Amino acid sequence: MNLKSIAECERRNLEKMKRYRLPFGYKKIGILVIMISIIGIIINKTSIDDNLFAQVGKYGILLGLVLISLSKEKIEDELVISLKMQAYTFAFVISVILTLTNPLFTYIASIIANKPMDIFKGMGDWQILWLLLSIQLFYFEFLKRMSR
Amino acid sequence: MKNSIKIERAILGITQEDLALKIGVSRQTISSIEKNRYIPSTLLALRLSQLFTKPVNAFFELEQEDEVLI
Repeated sequence: MNLKSIAECERRNLEKMKRYRLPFGYKKIGILVIMISIIGIIINKTSIDDNLFAQVGKYGILLGLVLISLSKEKIEDELVISLKMQAYTFAFVISVILTLTNPLFTYIASIIANKPMDIFKGMGDWQILWLLLSIQLFYFEFLKRMSR
Repeated sequence: MKNSIKIERAILGITQEDLALKIGVSRQTISSIEKNRYIPSTLLALRLSQLFTKPVNAFFELEQEDEVLI
């Protein structure tokens, strides 16, 4: 196999990866995983004081969001793919802006609550990923409705 | 870019749903193209051309702001 054919093979694999989406049914599985995770976190907060529920719940919410985000629509055509890409870009930019302005919001909150807060504590990695995927999903739904 | 897909569709006497099925997209995509909200890919434009038995520039037309100054 020469260098050119290796490069061509790599390019084809990358193209396949780029287009890969989970089947439509995974959307429902994603929603179910999120619901179970939220119930687990609520149970952890109210009755069972076991940190394991909260930890598994954190992973569960992220897994659920990824499953919804990566699953196909009923009819996945080029318009849907284009709207999804727009939503990913929008979500990324908004997440960066929110992360950058987070100290300002924390500062305002500390003034309103009259309580000292660590303004540079920032958002955790989990919160940023949840935020990014949630914005992507909501903005995609919004774009879909707008294009009707 | 403007288009006359709606007219071409009327000539063939087919609905948005029918056209969508024939070229393998959703009705929403046809509606977006007809309203000039979405510019389809070359592949989709060629599929439309095949269906309407007309060249692509018979139903897609560049507007003044789209034209490149040479």
